[in-house]
Amino acid sequence: MMNLQQQNISDNNFESCIKCTICTVYCPVTAVNPDYPGPKQAGPDGERYRLKRPFFYDEALKYCLNCKRCEVACPNDVKIGDIIQAARIKYAHGKPSLRDTLLANTDFMGNMATAMAPVVNFSLGLKPVKLIMDKVLKIDDHRTFPKYASQKFETWYRHEAAAEQEAFPRHVSFFHGCYVNYNYPQLGKDLLKVMNALGYGVRLLDREKCCGVAKIANRCIDEATRDGENNLRAIREAVDRGDEVLATSSTCCFTLRDEYPHLLHLENKDVRDHIQLATRFIFNLLDTGKAKIAFREDYHKKIAYHVPCHMEKLGWTIYSTSLLKMIPGVEFINLPSHCCGIAGTYGFKKEYYSYSQAIGQPLFDSILKSGCDFVACDCETCKWQIEMSTQVPVFNPISVLAEAIDEEATKKLNRVE
Amino acid sequence: MKFDNIIIGGGLSGLVAGIESQRAGKATAIISAGQSALHFWSGSFEFLGEADGETVVENPLAMAERLPESHPYHKIGIPKVRSLLSRVAPLLNEAGIKVNGSLERNHYRLTPLGFLKPAWLTLDDYLTAEHPDDFRGKRLAVVNILGYIDFYPRFLSHGLSKLGAECFTAEVDIPQLDTLRKSTTEMRATNISRFLDGDAVELLAKKINEVSAGADAVIMPAVVGIFSDDPVMRLRKGVDRPVYFIATTPASVPGVRCQLSLRDYFIRLGGTFMPGDTVVKGDISSSHRLERVFTVNFGDMPLEAGNFVISTGSFFGHGLIANIDRVYEPVLGLDLNVTGGRTGWYDENFYAPQPYMQYGVVTDSLFRPALKGETIDNLYATGALLAGFNALKEGSGAGITLATALHAASCITN
Amino acid sequence: MENATHKEYDVIVIGGGATGAGTARDCAMRGLKTILIERLDFTAGATGRNHGLLHSGARYAHTDPESAAECIKENMILRRIARHCVEETGGLFITLPEDSLDYQDAFVKDCFASGIQADVLDPREAIEMEPSVNPDLIGAVKVPDGSIDPFRLTTANVLAARLNGADIVTYHEIVGFIKEADRILGVKIKSIHTGEISEIYGKVTINAAGIWGHHVAQLAGVTVNMYPAKGALLIFGHRVNNMVINRCRKPADADILVPGDTICVVGTTSTRIPFEDIDKMDVTPDEVDLLLREGIKLSPALAYTRVLRAYAGVRPLVAADNDPTGRSISRGIVCLDHATRDGLEGFITITGGKLITYRLMAEDATDLACKKLGIDRPCTTAEVPLPGSEPDAKDEERRAHIIELSTEQKAAEGRHGSWSGKIESKSDADDALVCECEQVSVAEVNYAMDELNVHNLVNLRRRTRLGMGTCQGELCACRGAGLLERHDKCTQRSLDDLSYFMNERWHGMYPVCWGETLCEVQFTSWLYQGVMGLSECPGKEQTS
Repeated sequence: MMNLQQQNISDNNFESCIKCTICTVYCPVTAVNPDYPGPKQAGPDGERYRLKRPFFYDEALKYCLNCKRCEVACPNDVKIGDIIQAARIKYAHGKPSLRDTLLANTDFMGNMATAMAPVVNFSLGLKPVKLIMDKVLKIDDHRTFPKYASQKFETWYRHEAAAEQEAFPRHVSFFHGCYVNYNYPQLGKDLLKVMNALGYGVRLLDREKCCGVAKIANRCIDEATRDGENNLRAIREAVDRGDEVLATSSTCCFTLRDEYPHLLHLENKDVRDHIQLATRFIFNLLDTGKAKIAFREDYHKKIAYHVPCHMEKLGWTIYSTSLLKMIPGVEFINLPSHCCGIAGTYGFKKEYYSYSQAIGQPLFDSILKSGCDFVACDCETCKWQIEMSTQVPVFNPISVLAEAIDEEATKKLNRVE
Repeated sequence: MKFDNIIIGGGLSGLVAGIESQRAGKATAIISAGQSALHFWSGSFEFLGEADGETVVENPLAMAERLPESHPYHKIGIPKVRSLLSRVAPLLNEAGIKVNGSLERNHYRLTPLGFLKPAWLTLDDYLTAEHPDDFRGKRLAVVNILGYIDFYPRFLSHGLSKLGAECFTAEVDIPQLDTLRKSTTEMRATNISRFLDGDAVELLAKKINEVSAGADAVIMPAVVGIFSDDPVMRLRKGVDRPVYFIATTPASVPGVRCQLSLRDYFIRLGGTFMPGDTVVKGDISSSHRLERVFTVNFGDMPLEAGNFVISTGSFFGHGLIANIDRVYEPVLGLDLNVTGGRTGWYDENFYAPQPYMQYGVVTDSLFRPALKGETIDNLYATGALLAGFNALKEGSGAGITLATALHAASCITN
Repeated sequence: MENATHKEYDVIVIGGGATGAGTARDCAMRGLKTILIERLDFTAGATGRNHGLLHSGARYAHTDPESAAECIKENMILRRIARHCVEETGGLFITLPEDSLDYQDAFVKDCFASGIQADVLDPREAIEMEPSVNPDLIGAVKVPDGSIDPFRLTTANVLAARLNGADIVTYHEIVGFIKEADRILGVKIKSIHTGEISEIYGKVTINAAGIWGHHVAQLAGVTVNMYPAKGALLIFGHRVNNMVINRCRKPADADILVPGDTICVVGTTSTRIPFEDIDKMDVTPDEVDLLLREGIKLSPALAYTRVLRAYAGVRPLVAADNDPTGRSISRGIVCLDHATRDGLEGFITITGGKLITYRLMAEDATDLACKKLGIDRPCTTAEVPLPGSEPDAKDEERRAHIIELSTEQKAAEGRHGSWSGKIESKSDADDALVCECEQVSVAEVNYAMDELNVHNLVNLRRRTRLGMGTCQGELCACRGAGLLERHDKCTQRSLDDLSYFMNERWHGMYPVCWGETLCEVQFTSWLYQGVMGLSECPGKEQTS
């Protein structure tokens, strides 16, 4: 009997649920939306019924943010969030709407918008445009759209950086993600600045596509899978040439590592351990003495750190916070771990806007109470949500490092020419 | 990544050990694989509720002397247990949790089904009695929230009536709960407590006053104050008579508050709390020291420490795993007190002492577990993971958990 | 009860399993004044302890063509009259490398001879149809097997009997017969709860008590030689398969995996047991191991699926020969007229058969009773749908909009069919789920308490599936007890009932107590015995 019943796994461990209800305590949606059945019902309880007959699928599963806080809380390692998302993919009725498809296609939208950035940014801010988006596309008109950059990060990199990066003796590859590429190239530039000072050249992946998180959330699974296959090809190439693949976004990183195998069934075992957050890689360089860092003496900031949900799920908060705490002039505040409510494209949708804001309210309150100069956070959509809802600026820890680093001194420490 | 001390397990035991370690100035990390059994807390900690088949009330410390030699209390030594446990109430208080009680004499708590059970420490605002007779002649209003089905007023009033109290039951409702009640599954204690804030508390107090006229006290389910005791204070202020809570199941409001308060206190002290991560293996040196542990999330980057505490719990916490043919400790494969196959694990009567409840890791006198007979020098086991007692039958779970956690803390901070 | 003792009935039916309930229904539908007497609860015996297979008869096509023909005929009838109890899943008979394909050839021929559709499939087709099937299979035959819920089926028969004027009495045991010369005039019954003895008069008494009928016949002074054969089964936490999977070989242990409601069941073993054991069925570790070992050959996923419970039932086999395993005994229906057989008037025993042929058994017994009473009325039980299975315009409407129903409404609809419309939700509070695993709402519990003879949590479980899901009562038992108490206002009895119920759940769990099942029970013990302070109810041994 040795090979029998050694583990009760089933799909996503759903049979491991012992109905303790702890997940429901930590679900941010349950608390604000009674139409959502809660993670236990939507996840393992519902799964038994869906396996009996698919018609037991409940459309209210769409209210799940996919924040995975239920999974972090679960004492039995049930992949509650995965069960819910997989059920949406498998059973949800109807095709994704035009709005959902547009929101999901970050690459398409990004390419179009960066080409006409001033016009797009201007019009996305206009009342009539927002009203049309609200009425026609059901994108909430209270929502502030992230601004598009006038030049894509990739374009800048090819023209301005590529050549000199190859000159470094060691390299990492950068999964920049849509946000860096279309909205905020500065974060990519910041990463180059820090990595270069530490002695690493930064390469881009060959024809990177969106990580797919928005497409998964909006059930554009075929496209997400296609993009995912492409990204894994590019990541394998990078890993084969000896590069670690770094991301600055916790959600992109989480998607590449965990959602690919769990939801898109894309096998990534061979490269998963080489995909990591830039802060993890940098922390490890410093922790093991492989690199050193020096900070400016005149950098003085009061920084409140917000843990994005997917960062909590990754379990890598300590890397980002440890780096921030290394900066001598930083007064560090740990914000209570709480979902900001936006969950990528979720908070853009008219029908979810009020839930989105209600979920984030406790976080907004603690940020405003903290008296910080700015919030540090590894996720771009949290940034939009927090900036829109509190007016407090938000920076990625890599940008903070880039600002605080004494570039010349660091280069010297790492013998960078 | 290096720490002075690493605690594996973020339940009551791990948190208390972590807090004490951090307070002693040691850089401490707690690795917690999901939330803990503290979420089902009754609002009372027990030290020893039953010995020799009898309910223990007077002098539980003396009664503890009668426990078998192998019992953790004896391993520590009863006088030392007393001094270690004297630290618990102040520690909880520092974390923001107010408890009453003493090791010199147990008090009683009232269970959700209306039974009395002996307890050592009980939350400030929960129903207790020094003697069963304390309820005699009292007029009590047992008040539930409309549509809340995890609280059983008539079982409570039945139990209280047997103790000589005069009880009546009532239901109250406030519009703030209408939204929540629309959900078929989420009208739970913890969710209700999220809505019982702000104006809702004053309105609830008013409604309770309307139905509890003439009562000496109000008894209600613990559905208030999940994140702080502010709403509790306001409710008690608003109700014309004393209000006492009864913990409900599952996910108890006091349990969540206790867990979060202790966690936050640990973080305030500068500790590193790693939620949702699981230790999968460790490196043990030839000198029988645990050098480092590896976790699911940290992957190829191990966590190193001078001392480790393992507080992973029993089967519920996955500190122990039972397969069809064996029981094992999943992190390091530590030595256990389990012999024989599964037919010896259970008794056919649900209420009989179950052998599996006594399973756990075997340790030396300092609670250091062993691997293949060799004691691991810098690893200390605590709480429900330990072998050799039936905490459920003894009513000793919290006492053992806290005493062994404080004992481990004293070892890793010296 | 007081009413019952002052009436004289045409028929007294003993036994609240499918056969007894079916017989009561048939008698009542033919206009006979009928009373059904059950010792404990409906389905407390073999009816509630089998795999719930809607037999195609294929299993018997080779060994017992007569039974096979009965099965397929009744199978088709039940699809019509009991659609809310039946799931038309289809079934596979698979041949594994260790079996012979020769058996399959003979099997298919025999099926057709008995009128059972049997389509030979390519193994790949079979895997596509039922992805959980053992992929090593070398042959597969599709047959019209399905699953049937014995609890629902019996309840529906009881409801039909009641609608047609029958009286229903549960928790009363037959302790003797009222006899005059060579004629049975009635029965003496004893209340299980109070011990009170009363007499009921009836012109004909039908013994439909399954294996307990052996004892009932003895009380009447006649001998029916029955052999109790124990069959053990395992319940898995969810549906692994959506089609019935059988082994295509000679009948053997653990050769069938049946999907039923939210779970699936692998069975069964067959062991002769002494009569003393029939009220206490324990599943042994060897039986568990055997069921698992053979079960994974049907579907390898069982190797890593949580086992929820183990249970065992007793087949009432009527002696035919001396085969000690009981397997080659014909499952044929045995309807005994004790007047012709033993010279005892007014007494009939109906036994043998199987769940699937319960209606035919009832028809045989009722035909005989009618003959004795000199009544000539045709049986209509094969045409009239059971309560819950009526084709109802409103029901069709509900089904059309079923997508808009909530999950618990869908689940209740599955359990009570068209009668789920009687589940009345007066407010949001009534929609709250009592049993979250099995989606049982407060309103459904109220309906069951009002309409379906519910006196305790075990009754409630059988009528609604409360406590049958993953957590085995951990979340719902205390809620259920609270609601029962609110209904009956017997506080102490409800507490005792709760205490008993937790032990009843444990009884099926300890044989499979490892993995998550052990975590679950430790958690449950902490909650019920620790936090809530529940202990074993003292004194009386409660029966369910």
